[in-house]
Amino acid sequence: MSIIHLMNATRATLTEGMSTPPTSDVDLFADDVLLDPHPVHAELRELGPVVHLPKNDVYALTRYDAIRAALGDWESFSSTSIAFNPAANQALTGTSLASDPPVHTQLRATLTENLSPRALRGLKGRIEAKADSLVAELVEQGSFEAVDALARAFPLEVVADLIGFTGRVRENMLRWGQAAMQVIGPMNQRTAENFPIAGELYAWCSEVGADDLAEGSVGRAIFDAEARGAIPAGTAGHIIHQYLGAGVDTTVAAIGNLVALFAAHPDQLDQVRAESALIPAAFNESLRYWPPVNVWGRITTRDVEIEGAVVPQGAQIAVLLGAGNRDPRHYDNPDAFLVGRNPVDHLSFGYGPHGCAGQGLARLEAHAVIEALARRVRRLVVGPEVRVPSNITRSIEELPVLEVVPA
Amino acid sequence: MRIVLDRPRCEGHGLCEEAAPQLMHLDDEGELVLDREQVDGGDAALAQAAARVCPVAALRVE
Repeated sequence: MSIIHLMNATRATLTEGMSTPPTSDVDLFADDVLLDPHPVHAELRELGPVVHLPKNDVYALTRYDAIRAALGDWESFSSTSIAFNPAANQALTGTSLASDPPVHTQLRATLTENLSPRALRGLKGRIEAKADSLVAELVEQGSFEAVDALARAFPLEVVADLIGFTGRVRENMLRWGQAAMQVIGPMNQRTAENFPIAGELYAWCSEVGADDLAEGSVGRAIFDAEARGAIPAGTAGHIIHQYLGAGVDTTVAAIGNLVALFAAHPDQLDQVRAESALIPAAFNESLRYWPPVNVWGRITTRDVEIEGAVVPQGAQIAVLLGAGNRDPRHYDNPDAFLVGRNPVDHLSFGYGPHGCAGQGLARLEAHAVIEALARRVRRLVVGPEVRVPSNITRSIEELPVLEVVPA
Repeated sequence: MRIVLDRPRCEGHGLCEEAAPQLMHLDDEGELVLDREQVDGGDAALAQAAARVCPVAALRVE
């Protein structure tokens, strides 16, 4: 044991009521845990609000209150290490995602200027019309593969039109978006395989110019803002990068999850069909129940005490959003999917200064899909869903809809 | 008690208005307007609820 460890141990025993967090040999990024994290989340949550995981060299936050407090406390929990490997953190340096106030404040404002709900209000009608015509077509078809035909097709079209992507980029959006999330993980095989693909996106974003993006698009507006000095020179490409990196894979996961959850819980679909006011509630509950982002990082800037346990300064934190979302201390009967509970304070968009910048767009898209499903579908009969382990995003890879009972 | 809005942080998500329509609303430009800032009793509880659902922690009650 090194002298530093000894000193820390001595200090911990001397401070009355303080202890070191419990330890578990769980590997958060093992294939079986990524495929079904909920049993492991429950196990860790029972050990304590923060659990040391030596296999991943992280301290995992497991309970609702601890997670929400950490996300709100950027001074103790810095975003300079949101990824679980140094190369990805290095690549993200200078983005709003990976910076802290005060630098973060300006970067965030630039990022959200064209992405906040007030900027997106004009798009609502178009997004709803798109969702409705796509769902109408699929209902007519009767059977389809829901991930490709809806969960991927719809957000890809919305985001491509919003940013003004055309040609080669449009074809690459899905693989680039998936890779951008994979490389947030620890340096495992998935991360190594995806770095070159994430690099293609990075390279493209560093070269893209206004002329590459469709006229009248938000992407073009960002370059115009750069040209007139409204945002710092060289930031437009970064912003496009974040729109694509953060906004594709997550939304694809959310929409695939909605279809699967409504198929598995027809009584919940019935409730939404009977009461359209439950549309936002259904989206909140699906996000709580199956968060698209399974785990996200922070790093402690000082020794932090969480309910009597001390996490040392400089510790890599793994925020288990889904574990907090199913904390029975916060939600009754947390393992049940119940749209009526409308969990507006779920953790799946994060919270606080780094709360998901695209959540307004995500809501527009998901509400439009739920509304279209509720209007046109009475029941969905599905085959078994296929899942593939993924470092950060938890999503369904394939979901065969065998039969649609129309409304 | 008083509702305090951190204006630069507010992105107009509108969840606070859903929680406490008596106390605040988004105007035609999508900017949040506090219709009342001083609150007590039941209104203070509503204001707390609105602050709680703000996804970017732009509202607080003190």
